[in-house]
Amino acid sequence: MQQKNLSIMHPRPSSIVAALYTLRDLNVEVAILHGPPGCSFKHARLLEEDGIRVVTTALDENGFVFGGHDRLVDMLQKVEERFSPKRIGVVGTCVSMIIGEELHEAVMEANLDAPVIEVEVHAGYNDNTKGVLFALESALDVGIIDRQEFERQQHLLNEATNVEKKYGAASKEYLEPSRGDVKYTVAKRVIEMLKAGKKGICILNAKKETAYMFADITVALQEVAVKLGVEDNIVNFANLDTELGLPRVRQHAEHILADMHDNVKIDEIIGGLDEYPIAGQQVRQLIESKYKDFDFAVIAGVPHAIPMEALEGMELISITNGPRQVHPLKDMGHEHVLVEIDLHPKTLGVTNIVESEFGATLRQLALEE
Amino acid sequence: MNPQKRIAIYGKGGIGKSSTASNVAAACADEGYNVMIIGCDPKSDSSITLLGGKRIPTILDLLREGMEIEKEEDVVFEGYKAVKCVEVGGPEPGIGCAGRGIIVAIQKLKKISQSMKEMDLIIYDVPGDIVCGGFVAPIRKGLVNEAYVLTSGEYMPLYAANNICKGLSRINTKLSGVICNSRSVSREEEIVSKFANEIGSDLVAFIPKEQIVQDCERDGYSVLEKAGDTDIAEVYRTLARNIMASDCAVDPRALTDERLRELTR
Ligand code: SF4
Repeated sequence: MQQKNLSIMHPRPSSIVAALYTLRDLNVEVAILHGPPGCSFKHARLLEEDGIRVVTTALDENGFVFGGHDRLVDMLQKVEERFSPKRIGVVGTCVSMIIGEELHEAVMEANLDAPVIEVEVHAGYNDNTKGVLFALESALDVGIIDRQEFERQQHLLNEATNVEKKYGAASKEYLEPSRGDVKYTVAKRVIEMLKAGKKGICILNAKKETAYMFADITVALQEVAVKLGVEDNIVNFANLDTELGLPRVRQHAEHILADMHDNVKIDEIIGGLDEYPIAGQQVRQLIESKYKDFDFAVIAGVPHAIPMEALEGMELISITNGPRQVHPLKDMGHEHVLVEIDLHPKTLGVTNIVESEFGATLRQLALEE
Repeated sequence: MNPQKRIAIYGKGGIGKSSTASNVAAACADEGYNVMIIGCDPKSDSSITLLGGKRIPTILDLLREGMEIEKEEDVVFEGYKAVKCVEVGGPEPGIGCAGRGIIVAIQKLKKISQSMKEMDLIIYDVPGDIVCGGFVAPIRKGLVNEAYVLTSGEYMPLYAANNICKGLSRINTKLSGVICNSRSVSREEEIVSKFANEIGSDLVAFIPKEQIVQDCERDGYSVLEKAGDTDIAEVYRTLARNIMASDCAVDPRALTDERLRELTR
């Protein structure tokens, strides 16, 4: 037995939402939230932008008291009738889980043709990766993923949780949100280094669909380097392996690589888009063996998953989308930390690279050179 | 090997579920079975008479203290003749949610307990009537496959027993029998036996009211351990044998309230 971790004060991602995102990655077409109508509203709507329908059984006060079994059976049947989905998800909420609703019984009773992934989850887990894990376990049960992929995902989840606890938004009791450094100033610094003939590594280590925007930084840096005639001074790392991950995640990598055309050459593939928590080791080996003498690194996505030893001696420019990631990154020793605000809503439902603020700033400044 | 028996004993609060459960557990252990008893009542007195009067930490006690329960040994304790004892515990009265407590504890137990698989008999001592989803969690989570109802010949316990039958059919769980824990009311055996038949089941044991049960309990022992050669010990032994041998469970048909009243008049 051991004492549980210290509790964290700032609001954090929810396991229910994490389960919904995982269902999307498993190409579920309709997800039913079994609980109150307002549960996870913002993300449920956002996910609809991404092509998955999210509906709710809308339990009210009566539902809390008398249970929502019949409503869920009803909703399952309605969903089949109206959308004829090939794959359905049912996700618990705090309410339905507290009153002891059984998703499985309702699913059996509804007796649908399409496979249903049941996720018994509520928002009360410290690690929101629990929501992902439960969804994957259930997908394994109904045969949508195989054991090997399940174990791979499980390993990645553990690593992701470790990274968040060590260096991320779960590393401190309270983290002040911050917009980070001014993009103009940092872009100027990057151009200054390029003009001085310094050598830089551009690392895209992004989480799934966020890569649609973080990849723009790779593209922008490349354009600027070409314009300044120093493209040989930049090498590109990216976790864009198209052979790894859940179906939708592989598609993202394909889309992004296609959108880069021949304009950007990725020198080193450092894993799949779900491997951001473990890509750091590969980055480290690559730098040690080939790129030791580089002067700076631009890291977009999950910069805190790259071990600092790998980056020793380099000036670090890091771009994240979490305002609460700024302070931990500064503490680690990243000189410049930038935040791409609202990245997530802008990258759902897209199949092309989306312009980033930092990318735009770099391009604009290069024009003025 | 015999298939594992996983039973739950339901009945009105205070009717004697815990003492019946622990005496049955002790009797089965005497016969050489591997037995586990899981007390879901917040009073946690299912196991106390198997542990010589000692209280064990409950799963929910540990969770409340913020402990991470990882191993079976944290919550499973061996008592009389190696019966494995677990107590679920509960929140403070008036604070929190007992039903959720059971759900959480049961899930935790399922995750960490290896030896559950090796048992011949697992007895769940479930609190009171079936009320909320939490109280039926052991069944819902696939941990129980047979239920027994404990009652006396009085109206209220029978009313509760009847209600429990409604609950059992609601969750598609079979009833293996009715047990009468006597309160020495008139025509008791006749009434309970009639009740059992009318719901489609049988009276599997009539446990007479005897002071010796109370006395052993107060000392912290089961009747089987402390007064093994008494008649009442023999009653528990027979019940235990019946439970281990039983293979006819039914879907209970609850009676109407009027019929129930008639029966006890
Ligand atoms: S408390 Fe739980 S169930 Fe209620 S809205 Fe929040 S996440 Fe949903």
